[in-house]
Order: sequence, then C-alpha cells, then structure tokens
Amino acid sequence: MSGVTPAELGEHAFLRGMTGHHLAILARACWMAPLRAGHRLFEEGGTAQRFWLLQSGQVALDLHSPGRSGLIVETLGPGELVGLSWLVPPYHWQFGATAAQDTVALELNAIAVRAACEEDPVLGYEVLRRVMSAASSRLYATRVRLLDLYGRPGAGQDRQ
Amino acid sequence: METHDTVTLDLRPVDRPIPLHQPGQFTMLYAPGVGEVPVSISGTGPDQVLVQTVRAVGAVTRALCACAPGRMIGVRGPYGTDWDVARAAGGDLLIVAGGIGLAPLRGALQAALAQRDRYRRVVVLIGARSPTELIFVRDLGEWHRRGADVELTVDRATEGWAGHVGVVTQLLRRATVDPARTTALVCGPEIMMRLTARELVALGVPAAQVRISLERNMRCGVAECGHCQLGPLLLCRDGPVVGYAVAAPLLAVREL
Repeated sequence: MSGVTPAELGEHAFLRGMTGHHLAILARACWMAPLRAGHRLFEEGGTAQRFWLLQSGQVALDLHSPGRSGLIVETLGPGELVGLSWLVPPYHWQFGATAAQDTVALELNAIAVRAACEEDPVLGYEVLRRVMSAASSRLYATRVRLLDLYGRPGAGQDRQ
Repeated sequence: METHDTVTLDLRPVDRPIPLHQPGQFTMLYAPGVGEVPVSISGTGPDQVLVQTVRAVGAVTRALCACAPGRMIGVRGPYGTDWDVARAAGGDLLIVAGGIGLAPLRGALQAALAQRDRYRRVVVLIGARSPTELIFVRDLGEWHRRGADVELTVDRATEGWAGHVGVVTQLLRRATVDPARTTALVCGPEIMMRLTARELVALGVPAAQVRISLERNMRCGVAECGHCQLGPLLLCRDGPVVGYAVAAPLLAVREL
C-alpha cells in the first residue's frame, strides 16, 4: 500500500480547507488504493472499517435482490466520498459497493479516523461537517429522483 | 420510435417548406381533426426535411405519435427565440438535457459539432428516467466521434446498465469545463432546469451565460392569446429560449 502525504490529501475536494495539522493526522490513516473495475469494496451488512475518497473512476452502490444482479442505487465519481456508515453506529454498511470502472481512491482507516475525531473535537467537527454535506447533497438528489420528473408531463402538457 | 412513448417525425414539405429556422425554435404541429401543439424542432434533414420529436402525453400528441409514414399533418412556424449557439464560440459549450428536453437541444449540438473548431470543449450531460427512456441513442456515438464529451445518467438503472445513476446535476461538478468561459444550454422539466441553472451559477458559470427553454401553455404561438405569459414575457415570442438571468426571478414566483 502506498502512503499519502498531507498535501496530497488536501488536494481532494472532500478535504479542501482542512488545516495542515488535521491533514497530517488523517494522512497517517490513509493510503492510495487503485481499484480494478469489478473490485468489490464492501457488502451490505458488513462492518464499516474503511472509507474512500475517489480521485478517478466510478463506484456503484447497490442492493441485493434474490435472483437478480445487484440493483444499482447510485454511482459516485471523482471528488466524492464513498461510505457514510463508518461514522454512524452500529457501523454496518447499508449498501454494497463495486468499482464500476478502474478507479483510484484514497482509502482511510475508519476506526483510526473515528478515534482521532474523538480525541480532537475540532477535527471531529471538520470531518462531520464534510460528511454531513455529502449526505445532505445525496438526500436532496434522492428526493428529486423521487419526484420522477421525467415521468410527468409539464405544465399544460397533459392537455396536449 | 425513440422510446415507448416518444417518436421522432421526419416531415417532408408537401408545398412550401417553413422558413429557415434556428435550433431552439418550435413549430405548431396540427393533427387533423384532433388539435395543435407546440413542438420544438430537433433537427433538419436533407431535402428540407423537418425533424421533430414528440412525446405522447395527451390527445394531440398521441395522434401525432400514431401517424404512419405518408400521413399528412399541419406545420406552421418557426416561432420563438433560438439557442444562439454561435455566441458561445471561443469558449466551452455545456449542454444539459433532461428527458425529452434533449430534443430542443439536438439541433444546437449538431450546429456546434458542424463547426467544432470554434468551441473549446463541447460537453453534453443527458439525464433520463431509465436506460430504455434515453432518446437519440443512435446519435450518441456520432456526437462522441465529432468531438463532444457525452455523459449519460439515469434515475433508475436496469440490469446491465454500466453508466451513471443519479440526477443530472450530480454530473455538473465533474464536467471538464471552465465555468467562467462556459455557455450552458439547459432543457428539461422546469424543476430540473431550475436546479441545474442554480448549480451552474454556484459553480461559477455567469447567469448571463446560462440559457433555458421554457414552455407555459403555448396555444397560438404568435403572441396573441397570452396563455404562455410568464410575467412580462410571452414565451412563444420572447422564448422559449430565455436567459437564466431574466428567467430566474420569474421562476421563483409561484403565481406565475
């Protein structure tokens, strides 16, 4: 596994604006992770011990359904965070995840990061604020998808 | 057939063709005995063939979609404002389409690709409900070969779908354009256009360089009946393509 410098970590969109001190703490729990297309990052129900910051490629989140291949619920790309459950007890993955194409990610040790956040509340707040932003953005997008905008005609069009 | 409910019609003039038209404009299509609807022009074929894509959402559009080859329908136009693609020359062109919204944008994209060297990057982001509801699938490869970066995303994936899954706005942050030098053309459901335009401005695309295509109850097409009024605008005359800087405050007023 290849280590990551604080400067490299700070270039990722998810960590933009974080102090050098905090980046140094996170860098100790981080390594570069090239993921080949098809690589399975985690399974639904598994223990969330790691999380990823994507630099390139694409990761697909899925849910298992009997008799069918994984139902993809969302895809994530460069600049995005893969994994939310590592921060929320009981730390079990709610979905599965697969590298949909050759992907390069920064992989972080979730247990070490949680411990560092407990020890340094300012770091904890900075991490939580960023994770919350990602979660909020995804919730918003999911709600928009629920509207099924493409399935409904626009204003007055149902009379056409 | 583009999808289960969307058809592209190639219309050959029986008498005179309609006057020269620009991407973004629309015509009024008449299904004899049924009625008339505004439909964006989605392209021009050889021999002055007019290409228009219709989604069956009501009586008139269902009748138009059911037309067999050789059937005669009425066409008047073109009407309205156009995308003014040429004004984007020298910078990046970003086209964001949702669902049937790709139809009014198709002509703009083809015009840009016909003069590809006038633009820096040409990026096309297309959102659809599912893979089976993507339109102009046969054009995607050609657009890519002619120099467009095309990304597709669906709200719901089907088995075997290997592309993006999520709303089209989620692709904006990954688009390889320089926001300050980007002209963005956006068309789709009004909510989608509002969210997309807001996100584009947040990313640094000047509002004056974002254009959207609006439709509100168009009836006459010639600025007489007032049904398509949006504040001070009559969309059949002052639209359908409207600058976001002009449209944004109007779209925020629910009563309009």
